Amino acid sequence: MSDEELAKDLGPLAALTIGVGTMIGAGIFVLPGDAIEGAGSFAVLSFLVGGAIALLTALSASELGTAMPRSGGAYFYVNEAFGPLLGSVAGWANWMGLAFASAFYMVGFGRYVVNIAGLPGGFLVFGVVVPWTKLIGLLGAALFIFINYVGAKETGRLQNIIVVILVIILTVFTAYGATRASVANLPPPKGFGPMLTTTGLIFVSYMGFVQITSVAEEIKEPGKNLPRAVIGSVLIVTVIYALVLIVMSAAVEPGYIQQVSDDGRIAVVAVAGVLLGPVGAGAMLIGGLLATASSANASILASSRINFAMGRDRLVSPELNRIHPNFGTPYRSIALTGVFILLFIVLAPIQILALLGSILHLIIYGLLNVALIVMREADVSEYEPSFHVPFYPYTPILGSLLSFALIVFIEPVVIVVGAAFVAFALAWYLFYGRSRTTKEGALSQYILSQPEEMPDAAVDAAESVKPSGDDYRVMVPLANPANQRDLITLGSAIAKQRGGTVHAVHIITVPDQTSLSYAADHLSELEEDHHSVLDAAREDAETFGVDIETHTVISHRSFKEVFDAAREHEADLTVMGWGPSSHGSPGRVESAIDEVASDLPCDFLVLKDRGFTPDRILVPTAGGPDSELSAEVANLLHAEFGSEVTLLNVADDVEAGEAFLEEWAAENDLEDATLRVETGDVESAIEAAASESTMVILGATERGLLSRLVRGSLVIDVAEDIGCSVLLAERARHRGVKERVRKLLGL
Amino acid sequence: MTSATQPLLRHLLVPVATETDARETARALSPYNPERVTIVHVVEKGEGIPDKTPVEQSEAVAEAAFTVFRETFPDAAEELVYERDVVEGVVDAANAVEASAIAFQPREGSRLRQFLSGDRTLRLVTEADRPVISLPGGGDR
Repeated sequence: MSDEELAKDLGPLAALTIGVGTMIGAGIFVLPGDAIEGAGSFAVLSFLVGGAIALLTALSASELGTAMPRSGGAYFYVNEAFGPLLGSVAGWANWMGLAFASAFYMVGFGRYVVNIAGLPGGFLVFGVVVPWTKLIGLLGAALFIFINYVGAKETGRLQNIIVVILVIILTVFTAYGATRASVANLPPPKGFGPMLTTTGLIFVSYMGFVQITSVAEEIKEPGKNLPRAVIGSVLIVTVIYALVLIVMSAAVEPGYIQQVSDDGRIAVVAVAGVLLGPVGAGAMLIGGLLATASSANASILASSRINFAMGRDRLVSPELNRIHPNFGTPYRSIALTGVFILLFIVLAPIQILALLGSILHLIIYGLLNVALIVMREADVSEYEPSFHVPFYPYTPILGSLLSFALIVFIEPVVIVVGAAFVAFALAWYLFYGRSRTTKEGALSQYILSQPEEMPDAAVDAAESVKPSGDDYRVMVPLANPANQRDLITLGSAIAKQRGGTVHAVHIITVPDQTSLSYAADHLSELEEDHHSVLDAAREDAETFGVDIETHTVISHRSFKEVFDAAREHEADLTVMGWGPSSHGSPGRVESAIDEVASDLPCDFLVLKDRGFTPDRILVPTAGGPDSELSAEVANLLHAEFGSEVTLLNVADDVEAGEAFLEEWAAENDLEDATLRVETGDVESAIEAAASESTMVILGATERGLLSRLVRGSLVIDVAEDIGCSVLLAERARHRGVKERVRKLLGL
Repeated sequence: MTSATQPLLRHLLVPVATETDARETARALSPYNPERVTIVHVVEKGEGIPDKTPVEQSEAVAEAAFTVFRETFPDAAEELVYERDVVEGVVDAANAVEASAIAFQPREGSRLRQFLSGDRTLRLVTEADRPVISLPGGGDR
């Protein structure tokens, strides 16, 4: 059995239990009284409508879950489809939705305890009435947070038993109640508006099924079992809820529910008492305790999965998902979620908690349904679900519309709070996530991949919220200690001006005969100054006040390693040295290089070092992307060191040359530069101008120039003959597939 | 085998939990030059319930621990075990690789903490069907 198989230990029944156990909670044990008061006999419809929305979403979640069995559930799918802007919304809504729901379950738990213990409404502390339900809710929440913090597995087994007990209790209740039911008892319906408002309230009872997708990677044969568990659990609880509501509306006299609620008793328990006597009421009380506890317990664990997935995409700090050395639990995430739960219990009344849990989940479900459509339409090649939503696209469209539409019927205050959460999540992405995450959604990739066919507004919008990845990263590969200071100085100056960081990578080349792991163990013997190189780099960078990270890479081929490291560190710019001693021996046969180097992973600056003195910089230009990079660097050096910049153009016609330079200087923000136009031989003109400068920045005029240069197979006469330092600039470029094929065919 | 004595350090099975644990255990083991080492990480499975951590995260933790351990013992073989019970997982792995002994560094922890995580040191020592070597240095954190 492969490792992957071994990790899967949830059978179909276990998966189903997770969904049913999370859903059957305070929703059905606390809210039926409020539901009947709110909607009359239509309360049954409220639960059925809720079930229908949940079912439509469950179909979408099943398809997404079988296509992407990754931790993080609903958040993960929305993030994959829409990218991190809406991903942030889904993540926060999912996380906070679970926290609100857990708070709701725990206050419900408090109600049951108060009912069992026969406690009064509250007690006075310093003139403030503390309601017992809240206090017990807080204690209960603290207990379940603690259980998850230390990761007691025993609660899990218990959870399965609890689910079975709950189903039995509710089955007996409805079966017996059905014999006593009479249409005459039905309270009058209160119309469709109140019915939908009630649906918004009780929708909190339908949010466990998505948690199954969150553990998709642990489910055996997920292609088959995941959809069965997700859809099955929704069907099961919908039927149970509907039957319970029918019994509650039809088996007792009209007005009884109202009266019970006014007495502050729990409606479900009171009805069970009427139907089955004290045993029934007792069973229902225990059921309520177990149900609220197991729902909260499951939700707390589920929220840590969402944190994990958000941390994986850098939408929250991955530090949040640290694992406890003894307990093996994501203790920080659980503790933070716990703080939110306790806070919510203190701040909001039970109905508001339920509504906020509902509304945040409705937002996620709405997005999730659209995410399915995006994944199907955006030609995502890896998207291969083994379960397909029936009646596509009508099912997800309807699911999405109903989810969003139901929000409208929720209390305005709650909508405002919900909207505030969404606004917060958007701001969170723009101010926190955007600079960190690198994840792009399928939708924006699709739009940006065909800008001609898409409306401009869509392209602009996709462009403007695109993740900016991390900050500007300057990578400085160091091999030769002699010129490292100049390279670090140059790199740090640019990083400082760009507000970025420097990544110093010490590349140690070992002969092919030496195994890399051997080299790793004998670093100090191979390179005595191993640590001093990076330490010196750190010092130099710190004098600029630039953040620096240092890495060591051991390789047989140093030049290829530079490219790999640039890719790995997602560098925006690489500053490296040039010369026989800088990176491997010159002229060394490295057949892989041409292929590698033809696809520059980032901008490159190669310094032929004759002393780093950026006082007077010469930028010869004839236009083109690479000399634009030269201009950029000249600008940055000017800003950092106050360098004087001279632009040089060699033209046949002086006037035309001047006109070109003026325009070019303006385009590249170099209006202050001295303009110089020469005629005649290009090389000698550059050499002449260079003699008055301390540094020349040359744009690579030819593609692939850089790689050949660094390998030592090409010598630029100019660079050799000039007395001062030369900086060669080459722009990053990502060759498309078409171009590769064309080159391959020699077209 | 020519000698009649059974060398304890012939093939050690070394359980590692986290990166830090792996680093310290490797440091504690390195002076004894065992002949062969197999490192094992047990991913705690829920068996019927969701795990404490996502599989993806558990495997990343294992990978990090292995990598750190290999810095000291580059030739160490690795075993990734999925088991509900960590101690059982270690004992079974020792059987599977025919280890001569299990070597680990007990971590100091308060009584309460040991109780909550189910005093694994004691259980490993008593439940193992082969010698268990306790490496020094675990208590000085």
